[in-house]
Amino acid sequence: MRPRLLSRMSGALLVLFLGLFFVPMELPGLDSGTAFAAEAVAADAVVEVSPYQPAPNLVEKDYPTFLGFNGRIFVWIAAQLHLWFAAFVLAVPIFVFIIEAIGMKTRDKRYDNMAYEFIKVSLTAYSLTAIVGGLMTLGLLVFYPHVMAYMTSIFKETMIFYALLFFAESACLYIYYYGWHWLQGPFRKWVHLTIGLLLNAVGTVLMLLANSWLTFMMSPAGVDSAGVFNGQVWDAMHNFLWNPINLHRFVANIAYGGSIIGAYAAYKFLSARTPQEKAHYDWMGYNANFVAIAGLLPLPFAGYYLVAEIYAYSQQMGITLMGGIFAWLFIIQAVLIGTLFLSANYYLWCGLGRSEGGIRYYKYMKYLGFALVAAFLVWFTPHTLVLSNEELKALGGPYHKYLGPLGIMPAKNTAVNIMILMTYLSFLYYRRANKIATVNWVKAGNTAQIALFTMAIANIFFLGIYHGYFTNTVYKVAASIPQVLTTLTVIVMSTVIDSMIYKNSTEVAPQRWGRVPPRSQYALFLLAVSFTWLMGLMGYIRSGIRQHWHVVDVFRDNSPDAFTPSLGYATNVISVATIMFMAMVIFVFWLAQISGQKTDAAGFWKE
Amino acid sequence: MKIPRLLQAILVLAGVYGGFVLVFDVILEQVIPSSLLNMYMFFVVAGTYMVFTFNEESTEEIVAPIKALVEDPSKKMMRNVVFLVVPLFFGWFTFQQMKPSFEAPLELRTIHPAPPSAVKVYGKRYNLLTLENPFRKFEKEDPEKFAELVRQGGAVYIKNCQYCHGDKLDGKGPYAQGLNPVPLNFQDIGTIAQLQEAYLFWRITTGGPGLPKEATPWLSAMPVWENFLSEDEVWKVILFLYDYTGYSPRSWEHE
Amino acid sequence: MKQFLAVIGFSLLTIAGFAGFSNYGIPRIEPAPPPVQEKIDLSAMTMDQFISLGERVLNGKGTCKLCHNELGRAPLLEQIIPNTEKRLADAKYKGEAHDLEGYILESMVNPSAYVVAGFGKSGSNDTVSPMPDVSGGSIGLTEPELLAVIAYLQDSGGAEVTVEIPTDAGDAAAEEVTAEEREPLEDPLEIAAEFGCGACHIIGEDEGDIGPDLTKIGATRDRDYLRRAILYPNAEIAEGFEADIMPDDLGDTMFAVEVERLAEYLASLK
Repeated sequence: MRPRLLSRMSGALLVLFLGLFFVPMELPGLDSGTAFAAEAVAADAVVEVSPYQPAPNLVEKDYPTFLGFNGRIFVWIAAQLHLWFAAFVLAVPIFVFIIEAIGMKTRDKRYDNMAYEFIKVSLTAYSLTAIVGGLMTLGLLVFYPHVMAYMTSIFKETMIFYALLFFAESACLYIYYYGWHWLQGPFRKWVHLTIGLLLNAVGTVLMLLANSWLTFMMSPAGVDSAGVFNGQVWDAMHNFLWNPINLHRFVANIAYGGSIIGAYAAYKFLSARTPQEKAHYDWMGYNANFVAIAGLLPLPFAGYYLVAEIYAYSQQMGITLMGGIFAWLFIIQAVLIGTLFLSANYYLWCGLGRSEGGIRYYKYMKYLGFALVAAFLVWFTPHTLVLSNEELKALGGPYHKYLGPLGIMPAKNTAVNIMILMTYLSFLYYRRANKIATVNWVKAGNTAQIALFTMAIANIFFLGIYHGYFTNTVYKVAASIPQVLTTLTVIVMSTVIDSMIYKNSTEVAPQRWGRVPPRSQYALFLLAVSFTWLMGLMGYIRSGIRQHWHVVDVFRDNSPDAFTPSLGYATNVISVATIMFMAMVIFVFWLAQISGQKTDAAGFWKE
Repeated sequence: MKIPRLLQAILVLAGVYGGFVLVFDVILEQVIPSSLLNMYMFFVVAGTYMVFTFNEESTEEIVAPIKALVEDPSKKMMRNVVFLVVPLFFGWFTFQQMKPSFEAPLELRTIHPAPPSAVKVYGKRYNLLTLENPFRKFEKEDPEKFAELVRQGGAVYIKNCQYCHGDKLDGKGPYAQGLNPVPLNFQDIGTIAQLQEAYLFWRITTGGPGLPKEATPWLSAMPVWENFLSEDEVWKVILFLYDYTGYSPRSWEHE
Repeated sequence: MKQFLAVIGFSLLTIAGFAGFSNYGIPRIEPAPPPVQEKIDLSAMTMDQFISLGERVLNGKGTCKLCHNELGRAPLLEQIIPNTEKRLADAKYKGEAHDLEGYILESMVNPSAYVVAGFGKSGSNDTVSPMPDVSGGSIGLTEPELLAVIAYLQDSGGAEVTVEIPTDAGDAAAEEVTAEEREPLEDPLEIAAEFGCGACHIIGEDEGDIGPDLTKIGATRDRDYLRRAILYPNAEIAEGFEADIMPDDLGDTMFAVEVERLAEYLASLK
C-alpha cells in the first residue's frame, strides 16, 4: 500500500478511537431507558421493601482496631499516596501523547526520545499506584468495613467495571511503552499514537469512576435521607459535585505531572556530566515546566468553579469551607500557590540567559516581579486579620478599612487574573528572547499587543472593583466569569499575534540549552514539592468538609476519629506523607536511571 | 553614581517596609497588622531575590561583596564586626520574640462561623439551607408594601439595635465602645453583603450564646433576640439592614 | 551524591517551611468536635420511655391514627386486647401467632392474617385487609419502633407488657419522629402514599373503598374543587359517601406545593 493511503487510514483509525473515548462514559449509566423502566416497576410496588438497606448507624465498636494503628491516618496517607501516583500516572500519558504527536508533526526525533523517557518514568510509578491503591483498599476494609460495605452496595457495578478497566489500562500502557521502538515508521507510528490515545481514554474513565465515589460521599445523590439507594447507579455517580471535581482534577493532574517530570529533569541536569546531557535535560525541564504552567494557569478557574458549586450545593458546606476554621487553610493555600507562580516565573526568567537575545528583556523583569508580588499580596491577605490587642485598639475593632476589602473574593479574583497574565507575559518574553521578527508590521503588532494587555488589565480591574464592591452579590460572583474570559482572550489573541509576528523570524544567536544557573533547577524542585504538598492539603480539605459524616447527611461517622483534625495536625500528616511520596519517587527515578546502565562483567560469564 | 546591586536590594526591601508603615500607619491611619506585614515582607524578599538573581551578571554583583567579606583578607576587621553583630542581632530578635509579656493573649474569632443546617427558634425548626425571607418577594411584587415593611424594620432597628450597631449601621452605636468584640459594622462590604438572609436570621435570633464553638470565646454581647422580637420583626429588620446599606443579600442562582 | 543530598535537603526544608508556617504562622484553631448525635439510646431506656416512644410512633410516624380512630375506618386499637384470644381461635385466622405480642406484631406486618369483620377490602369478603405493611413502604417502621408500639398497646390496654427493649442499640432505628423536617414530595403518588389516601380511595395501586374512586376524578371535577376537597373535605360530600370520614387536618400537615401537585395530578386523571 502507498504510504499516503496508509497514513489516511491510520488517521481514520485515530478518529474512530476518539469516538470510542466517549462510549465508555455512557456505559455506567446503563442509559435512561432502563432507568425509566425501573422507576415504573418501583411505582408498581409502592409498599414493597427496597432491596437496599439504609445507611447503618454505627457505633464506636463497629470500627475495628488493629495493632494500635490509627485507622484514619493509615487510610489518609495511603489514599493520598495513591492520589499522587495516580495523578502522575494519568497525567504523563496525556502530555506524552501530545509530545509524541508534536514529534510526528515536526519529525524532530528529540521529542520522540523525550516522550519515551517520560513514559519510562511513569511505568514504575504505575505499579506503585496499584500497590498503594491496594493498600488503601485494604485499609478501608480493615478499618472501615461497614463504610465499604455500604459504598459497595451502591457502586458495585462501577467497581467491577473499574477493576476490568485496569486490565485495559495495563494492556495499553505496556504495548505503548514496550512497543515504542517496534512501532516506528509511517503507519506504525499512527498505530502507536492511537494506542496512546486509548491509554488516555481508559485512564480518564478510571479517574471519572473513582471520582464519582468520593463526590457521592460529599454530595450524595440517588439515595434518600436515610441512605436507601434507589437502584440507579447513574444517579449516584452523576451527583452534584462530580463534574466540578472531574474538571479540577483533570487540569491539576496535568500541571502536577509536568512538575514531577520537571523535578526529574532538574535532578538529571544537576548530576549531568557532559554538555550534551546538560542540554538535553535542560530542554526536558523546560518542556516539563511549560506543561506545568499550562496546567497551572486554568487551575484557579477550575477551583473557583468547584467552590461555587459547593456553595450552590450547600451553603453550610460552603461556609465551612471558606468561612470557618478552613478559612485559614486557604491562607496556607495562597502561600503555596504564590510559591508555585513565583517559582514558575523565576524559572522562565532564568531561561532568558539561554540566549544572547534574552539580555534585551532583562530590564522588564523587575516590573513583572513587582506586579506579581503585588497581586500575590492581595491574593494572600486574609479576611480575618490576626491582630494584637494594641492593634485592635488602634483600629477600633477587628475591621480594617483598607485591608478588609482585600480579603474577599472579588479582590482575589482580580489578583489571580493579574498573576496569570504576568506569568503569561514572562513566557512571552522568554519566547521572544532569541528571535528577531522579519515581518514589516512589527511595530503595529507590538502596539496591538500592548493595547490588548492594557485593555485587559483595565477591564479586569474595572470588573473586580465595580462589580465586586458596588453591586450586589449575584454580580460579584458573576463578574469573575468575564474576568476569566478576558484573561483567556488575551492569552489566545496574544499568542496568535505573537506567532504571526515571529513567523519566519531569525535567531539572535544559537539557543544554548544547558546554559542556565543551578538556581533555576531548584525552582523546579520547589515547584514539584510545593505542588505535592498543596495537593495533600487540598485533599485534606476536600475530605474534611464532610466533617463527621462518611456520606454527608446520610451516613454518620461515629468512629473515635470522626473529629475534624486541626490544621497543624493535618499539615503534619501531609508533610509525612509528602516525604514518603518523595522517597518512593526517588526510587522510581533511580530505577529509570539504572535501567539504562550496563555493567561490564567480563570474566564472570563463561565465554 | 551607580548604587551597588546588594545595596539596591537592601534599599528596595527597606523602602517597601517603610512604605507600608508610612502609608498605613501614618497616611491612612489604619495600622497594618504586624502579623500581616511580616508575611508581606517574606514574599517581598522572595520577589526581590527573584528579580536580583535571575541572571548571572546581577547575581555575581550581589554575591561579590558577600564573598569578599568572607574571603578577602583585607576586610578582616569588617568581617569580625559583622560576624559578631549578626548573631547578636538574631539573639536579640529571638529574645524579643520569646520574652514573656503582659499583653493578653491573642483572641481570634471567626466572624462568620459556618451555620448549622437547621436552627430551632420560636419553637420551630428552620432549615437554614432553604429558609428565605418571607417579605423579600414584595420587593418586586408590591414595592409600596415593601417600603412599608422596611420602614417597620427601621423602627424595630432604632428601638432595639442602634444602641450598639449605630444609627448609621456602622457598628458605632453609643454602647459600642464598651463591647469586645465590637458590634458588627453592616456598612462593611465584608459583613452582610456576603451573607444570605437565612444566615442573618440565625445570628439575630440566637445571638451571642448561639455562636458555635469555632466562634469562641463567647464574649459577644448580642442578645438572643428570639426572646424579644417576633419572627416577623426579625425578617423586617433584615429587610431594613439591606435596604439602608444598599447591599443585596447573597443569593445563588441555581443551575 | 552531593547533588542528591543537596536536593533532598532543599526539599525537606521546603516541606518543613510549609509545615512550620501551618503550625505557627497562622492562628491555631481547634475545630469543633462532632455534635452529639440525637439518637435514642435504647440500651439506656427505661420501659416507660420505651412505651412513650411507642405512643409517639403511633400518633406520628406510624400514621396509625389516620384510620384507627372514632370514624370507624378501621377497628379501634382498644379492641385488640380483649378480642385477641377470640381472634386467634377463629377459623378465619390465617396467621401463626400464639400470644398477644405476636398477634399485634403480625397485625402490623401482615394485616391480612386476620381481618375484623366489616373492615376488609370491598369485594374481598373480609379476607384482605386494606392496611399496608407498616414496616415497609412509605411508613417504614423499624423493628424497635414496632416493638415500642406493641409495648404501648399492651400498656395502655391494661395487659402485661411482654415486650423486651431491644438491646441492639446500634440499629438504625428509633430516630426522633420529625415530621416537620421532611422535604416536600415531588411525585403525586408518593404524596398520596405519604398521607394514606389509598386507604380509603382508589388511587395508584391502592384500592380503598371508603371514599370516592379517584381514578377518573379529573373528568368530573376541576382542580379548584379538588384542592378544596383536600383541604376542607366536608365542604361538599360526594353522593353516596358520608361526611366527617376524611381527615380535615391535611392542610396542617401537607406542604402547599404538595396540595397543588396532588390536585393537579387528580385533575389530570380523565
